[in-house]
Amino acid sequence: MAEKPQPVQVLYCGVCGLPAEYCEFGPDFEKCKPWLIQNAPDLYPDLLKGAGAGDADKVSDQLQSTSISSDAGSSKPKEEVKRLPGGKIKKKEKQEVIIEKVTRNKRKCITTVKGLDLFGIKLNDASKKLGKKFATGASVVKGPTEKEQIDVQGDIAYDIVEFITDTWPDVPESAIFFIEDGKKVSAS
Amino acid sequence: MFKKFSSEEVSAQNQVKASVQRKIRQSIAEEYPGLEPVLEDLLPKKSPLIVAKCPNHLNLVLVNNVPLFFNIRDGPYMPTLRLLHQYPNIMKKLQVDRGAIKFVLAGANIMCPGLTSPGGALDDEVEAETPVAIMAEGKQHALAIGFTKMSAKDIRTINKGIGVDNMHYLNDGLWKMERLE
Repeated sequence: MAEKPQPVQVLYCGVCGLPAEYCEFGPDFEKCKPWLIQNAPDLYPDLLKGAGAGDADKVSDQLQSTSISSDAGSSKPKEEVKRLPGGKIKKKEKQEVIIEKVTRNKRKCITTVKGLDLFGIKLNDASKKLGKKFATGASVVKGPTEKEQIDVQGDIAYDIVEFITDTWPDVPESAIFFIEDGKKVSAS
Repeated sequence: MFKKFSSEEVSAQNQVKASVQRKIRQSIAEEYPGLEPVLEDLLPKKSPLIVAKCPNHLNLVLVNNVPLFFNIRDGPYMPTLRLLHQYPNIMKKLQVDRGAIKFVLAGANIMCPGLTSPGGALDDEVEAETPVAIMAEGKQHALAIGFTKMSAKDIRTINKGIGVDNMHYLNDGLWKMERLE
């Protein structure tokens, strides 16, 4: 091999990221279909044949419906699903922020904030903002179940709700919960 | 192996010293002679080579934050599938039949019957314990990277049980990790 072999360009599916020919074995073939029909029609002749004239509408319908459904507020979870590996379990995860006060030294305590990342908030930025606002130390800590959480020094449990809803309008107040005596209490 | 794998698993990333870098290059060049002409492009001598350590004695070789090779303990370096797709001819290939694709993509090891059936194909030169590319019936691109448990001849004669260990397959954790920061 004297010559430099050129790298082969592989067509990766825009939906699932697999090489297009493996879409049929991918996590969600149905979702890939519209993309495949547009971008790699020769790979799956069956699709076109089966689709035929009448089904083309269906496909466009599908496209529309997916775009509609993503418009209807589900664009966030979609992003999230993409980001996390092992889609199945993660999809079910509810978007909620949990605030917990942990007493440290009798009078001193730490407020932990879990779940901000589920709203697509960067934890690093968030901890900085929290620290600035409350003039305390705030850090991103790996939580018990491999989840990252923010630890803020001091008892800020009551002010933090307003702060969160103000700074990140994406987070509704109804999604914020306190943990009091081991019970979940809604903030609103 | 990479079924559950994410950037969180990486325990340490180190830029390795030049001598180690040389050693890695050398062993890759030995393992994959077909890669030699492009090796300079893939692993430029000048740019830093980063080795990311992960649990289970797993190492990833990164260049510009892109994982290119991985190895286990001190085993052979194996390319990631994205790299293999670009240079498909660097590895020996085994082909499985269509029925096996589903299972391989779920992370199953490759069983002998899937390789010996009409849809499969075996490269007779393959020895035991070598990295191979797993191709599939009717597909152009590799779907997994395996590590043979027995030689091709044994696979043919024994025709039972695990023939190739599945190391890395499409849509597993490593595949999804296109870049590692």
